[in-house]
Amino acid sequence: MASKSEQGVWETFVRRPGDLKEGVETPMVLRDLRPGRKKYQMRHVIAMVTRQTPETTGSDELRIRTVVGVLLPESYAINILRDLPMELPGIPYHDFYQALKRAAAESPG
Amino acid sequence: MFSDTRDFMDALRASGDLHEIEKEVHWDLELGAISRLACEKDGPALWFKRITDYPPEITVFSNPMATWRRVAVTFGLAPDSSVKEIYAEYEKREGKLIPPLTVQTGPCKDVVKLGKEIDLFDLPAPMLHDGDGGRYLGTWDMAVSYDPETQWVNWGMYRFMVYGSRHLTGFPRPTSHLGKVFQEHYVAKSKPMPMALVIGADPISHFTAAATYHIGGDEAALAGGLRGAPVELVRCETSELLVPANSEIIIECEVLPDCVGLEGPYGEYPGYRTGEMGNGILCRVAAMTHRKNPILTVDATGYRDDSSTITALTGAIAIKHRLERHGIPVLDVNVPREGAVHMAVISVNYGGEQVARAILETLTSRRALISKILLVEPDIDVYDMGQVLHAFSTKCHPAHGIYVVHYEGRANTLTPCYSQGERAMQKGASVLYDCTWPGEWSREWEVPVKATFETIFPEAVREKILSEWKNYGFKE
Repeated sequence: MASKSEQGVWETFVRRPGDLKEGVETPMVLRDLRPGRKKYQMRHVIAMVTRQTPETTGSDELRIRTVVGVLLPESYAINILRDLPMELPGIPYHDFYQALKRAAAESPG
Repeated sequence: MFSDTRDFMDALRASGDLHEIEKEVHWDLELGAISRLACEKDGPALWFKRITDYPPEITVFSNPMATWRRVAVTFGLAPDSSVKEIYAEYEKREGKLIPPLTVQTGPCKDVVKLGKEIDLFDLPAPMLHDGDGGRYLGTWDMAVSYDPETQWVNWGMYRFMVYGSRHLTGFPRPTSHLGKVFQEHYVAKSKPMPMALVIGADPISHFTAAATYHIGGDEAALAGGLRGAPVELVRCETSELLVPANSEIIIECEVLPDCVGLEGPYGEYPGYRTGEMGNGILCRVAAMTHRKNPILTVDATGYRDDSSTITALTGAIAIKHRLERHGIPVLDVNVPREGAVHMAVISVNYGGEQVARAILETLTSRRALISKILLVEPDIDVYDMGQVLHAFSTKCHPAHGIYVVHYEGRANTLTPCYSQGERAMQKGASVLYDCTWPGEWSREWEVPVKATFETIFPEAVREKILSEWKNYGFKE
């Protein structure tokens, strides 16, 4: 099991309460909360999340913020499966999350 | 007139409007919180000399023009000039255009980084508010872009967030000048749009970028006219775009026509974080150039930020000119600071339904940034919000004096009272409160007489009272 200090801590934003599904492969945008100059660097990934605590699973921790930036009290365990491109194909001024889903569907599993 | 940010900071120091912080401050919320509180206290501009995780050569200057005193200094006026005097000075100068000069090089080229040398995390972009989508590098900035069909160069102040070492996301609204040019001339043709993000130019250039100015207008020439001297521009390393040569930092990018990234949410100028998220644009950085010991300029956006002065001021004058062009009997316009560029007070020779509807139509036909309008008569000083509130409370008929217009596709998506659904459709409304007496009311028989010293006593009585005032025992 990874020690607490080695575990990654990530944050993601969701539009609606039901947007984060547990136990299924989910495309998401993460930001890295490790301290230092590169804190808040973004990453597009496909990941699996569960409502377990990082202490029990040894996985990285995921924190959730709402569309208005409010941090939710519950945290999740996250298992990052693979990365999606930084330059995500999509139409400017159109929904980013739809572009993320399309990229995940086209990504080799 | 100031040639760069550093000259401006010297002037603010001399007028007592700059506070220098030697203590180390963290870029992650601490800097933003200090700057925010300074705005809310009407405090001075701030120069952070030591930023956690960064060398002392890179510093941060925040809230350049968030008070009327600092706007006055920008224009070379006495710092305690009234809002009315500052409005008048801008209006006097804005008609004069002085085209920019192109120079071969300048201080912004002291350090040049290209390709893989670039790392945006080398700059102490602050996390300004807890819960923002990211670290905003572009707040007190100037995005330079170009319309390939008309050759029009646009300067605009838009927000840009660090996404990765060589990527930014931004939210120039789709109805903004940059957003319009990008969609019509680049996205439609699947071409990347060159853009230069200028940070820390001379103060008037930033003022101009934030100004409400007509589409197709030459903002570089406007800046020259306002300064009384041409702005010196230098060519970018990776595009034909020209940027102010004395700027602190230049980020040269391509805005991608076929890619997206998450942008926002962000605590914006209306004073709220509205949930405008995920509908922005993605930029790939091609070059970063900067001065030696660069100063990153920041607007700690929110209630009473820099837009509450400069966007309000230029918006008010633009509204006045627009109404004049449409034949509306406008006398004066104020966009009050606490109204977060959502409210305008307009004085007219006469009001009524026809004038009210014409004003609403004129101010919402392309994009609708102002959603509350108070229409007052010439006896009201539009800069005196006590008088305005009195007129609104007493003269606006709650059933017959309120006019509303609804629209879709051009609402201000940052307006906090709109739902997420309305925001997505850019759907909204503007309301006008007519605080003028009905034109058909007889002045002799129907219009109530205002019960103030100036209006309800004969001139002879007023003169006597004023001349005898101290004899009644009053000191002032």
